Amino acid sequence: MGRQPKSEADKVHDRIGVLRADRGVSRKELAEAVGVHPQTIGYVERGEYSPSLALALRIARYFELPVEAIFSLDPLPSLSQELLRRTS
Amino acid sequence: MSNSPAQTYLARTFEDDRYAWTREPRVRRRAVVAEVALVVALVAATLVAASTDEEWPTWFFVAWMVGMLGFIPLHSLLNLGIRGVLDRDKRSLDEHQRRLGERSHTAVAWPSTALTFAAWTGAVAVVGLTGHVMLALCLGFLLWFASGLLTYWHLAWTSPEEPADADL
Repeated sequence: MGRQPKSEADKVHDRIGVLRADRGVSRKELAEAVGVHPQTIGYVERGEYSPSLALALRIARYFELPVEAIFSLDPLPSLSQELLRRTS
Repeated sequence: MSNSPAQTYLARTFEDDRYAWTREPRVRRRAVVAEVALVVALVAATLVAASTDEEWPTWFFVAWMVGMLGFIPLHSLLNLGIRGVLDRDKRSLDEHQRRLGERSHTAVAWPSTALTFAAWTGAVAVVGLTGHVMLALCLGFLLWFASGLLTYWHLAWTSPEEPADADL
């Protein structure tokens, strides 16, 4: 089971919000697909809840991306920065 | 196999968007304050009644009935505010909701034990000092009841503000 991060260092950063916007997926649709309540997706996006490994893997499977592309212990660079880095 | 939490009738009621207003932190905390005030008032009334010679004063009976009847809508409001996380079948909760419930149970474990102890000792003290058995039972019941309510109060007070519209 996941947990509430106790400090900034304990926080799990994610790209769920960006990926949802990119794919046009609502919180409700994602929540139904991965088997949680929509507000739980919101708490994960806000960094107020660190998901369990099983939930993180289900989210990664839904977006068809490796889990490390969505979740990180370090702040994730924006996708535009990533693109710029790869193309330059 | 579906990973989705089971949607029981009770779960659907607690998740109903018509009650979204009860989930606002301001409403939840006011419900907690009102419930605490009600329980404290009933404990005070019981102690005042125990200090009189009458075993079961009429005013106390009225106060008890009003308090208990008032508790029903008040607790319904509070429970809707926390989506009934502590009352619903575990299968209808997701991992975050189960976590919130467990956190509150853990946080109030000691105060709850202390209140249960106070319920027994308080009731025995009232019988020993005044001889009012019914009022001693009332006091014991109230303190024992409060020990159970602590988890609800903690969860309603500390639950984070819910994210905005799920359809976004």
